[in-house]
Amino acid sequence: MRYLMGLGNYTAGDDAIGVRVIEYIAEHNLEDGFRAIDMGANSLNLVAYLDPDTTAILAIDATKMGEAPGEVAFFTPNEVQSHKELRGLSTHEGDLLTVLEIAKQAGYPIPPIVIMGIEPKSLQPSMDLTPELGKKIKHYSELAISHLKTMP
Amino acid sequence: MTVNAHIHVHHLTRVEGHGNIVVNVNNGKVEKCEWQVPEAPRFFEAMVRGRHYSEVARITSRICGICSVGHTLASVKASETALGITVTPQTIKLRELLKHAENFDSHVLHVYMLVAPDLLGAPSVFPLVKTHGDVVARALRLKRAAHEWGSLIGGRTTHPTTPVPGGFASVPTHAELKALKEKLLSLAPDLTATLETVLALAPNIPAFDRKTEYIALSNDQNYGLYDGVVQSTLPDGMKQRYPVADYRKVTNEYVVPQSTAKYAKNKLPSYAAGALARFNNNFERLTPEAKGVAAKLGMKPVCGNPYLNTAAQVVEIVESFYDSLRIIDELLTTGVKHEELVKPTKFATGAGATEVPRGILFHEYTYDQDGMCTAGNCIIPTNQNHANIQGDFDKLVPELIAKNATEKQMELALEMLVRAYDPCISCSTHYLDVTFVR
Repeated sequence: MRYLMGLGNYTAGDDAIGVRVIEYIAEHNLEDGFRAIDMGANSLNLVAYLDPDTTAILAIDATKMGEAPGEVAFFTPNEVQSHKELRGLSTHEGDLLTVLEIAKQAGYPIPPIVIMGIEPKSLQPSMDLTPELGKKIKHYSELAISHLKTMP
Repeated sequence: MTVNAHIHVHHLTRVEGHGNIVVNVNNGKVEKCEWQVPEAPRFFEAMVRGRHYSEVARITSRICGICSVGHTLASVKASETALGITVTPQTIKLRELLKHAENFDSHVLHVYMLVAPDLLGAPSVFPLVKTHGDVVARALRLKRAAHEWGSLIGGRTTHPTTPVPGGFASVPTHAELKALKEKLLSLAPDLTATLETVLALAPNIPAFDRKTEYIALSNDQNYGLYDGVVQSTLPDGMKQRYPVADYRKVTNEYVVPQSTAKYAKNKLPSYAAGALARFNNNFERLTPEAKGVAAKLGMKPVCGNPYLNTAAQVVEIVESFYDSLRIIDELLTTGVKHEELVKPTKFATGAGATEVPRGILFHEYTYDQDGMCTAGNCIIPTNQNHANIQGDFDKLVPELIAKNATEKQMELALEMLVRAYDPCISCSTHYLDVTFVR
């Protein structure tokens, strides 16, 4: 199975971009050869999808990369260095990279994973995305689906 | 005696959200001792106004990424009360099964990922992967199973889609339920190992006693995670029940200068909600297997050590496991069929409550004749616990001073105390912050 996953907090502005894209895909019945998963703020649930039957994961997440708001980059976990200093693995402190590292050390099979990072503008409490990201939801959805298709 | 201590833990780690611990001791006297909550209000009650009853639970489930099942269930129950809806026995069973999945999942996260590092003397779970790899692998196995369990019943575990006012949008098949039962049965060795791990670490749980008032849902049929009336148990074991509709008479919210979160109190200056409160209220209705675990842990009601909230969570992990097997067997016997959603019979005000991992959760809504929400109120369990945490601080700090605790020991004891409550103060952001190294 191939998965397109969205991560983020729905109530923290652009942090929700990943789950908003998944929501768009679900509402428009765009699942085709993959499953769209809303992981919400619970990135630890990623371990539920780490098994030999998983052939590819594309995870969409708000990512501070120093780019203009709304810009997109595709990267693998090995291609980045995280700047988050974490002392725990609550759903507040953990992130996708942390969960992957622990799962890897615990012996879980790690399928090909690509992260679609989207530069946020605001992470302040809000149920709305900023216009810079909100107007591109359809574009992000198409981009994510087409990139997942290119994954082996 | 500790003469001077100055503790300022800014944004305590390994809790869900942000809280501060501030203690100043000068010449053996406590000048300041505060549990502070600086989180900003999130205005969910305003967000649901003007929304149709079919949308409200989907919005309020976003209050929490861990307890989204509980927020969904409290929300649909409140809406159903307001709309005059009585759901079917099948719906109740499926919701109980979903509630167990959430409790199991959250307790495994708390016991293994957030508390175990304290008991093993590690700063976090990360070094445990190397030193206690089998324990971490077991935790991930249990969490994964809970995720699959919740996803089957709720559509997904985070922000479930199937529980809606009037019933379930879709239900699992007979074969899926059978597979779930097999999956759960395969976890039995991991449950035994969990108890063994906790028993081995139990001597590291601090001894402290401050009995308080304990508030939880309660009923005469089961442990009351999904439904019941509000019950108070006082330190002497005296119990009193209240209808859910009277929840404001129990919570009596008020504000304090040190916190942006509201505090709560009932008969005593503070009360506790959560696993220990449920244990103290509903011990008699635990399954025999869960009672057996409580006996092994040396726990009986009324237990007044808040650090043992974590042990009560272990009891509840076992409770959820065995009660779910019972529910699945009942559903397999009666058969699960698609049912039409029960329609509203009125549009008024109604309250609903359910137990989430951290304690009793209340939602209340008012709907107009078009089914649009005109008012909402949500009282989450962590807020109900803030005053009790402060009460524990007020007793614990002088005890630590008398024991000549160092500043470091005092800080750890207070941090562990807060973590034992498993507070979920708010949901924060989860973005990645990276530099490219390719």
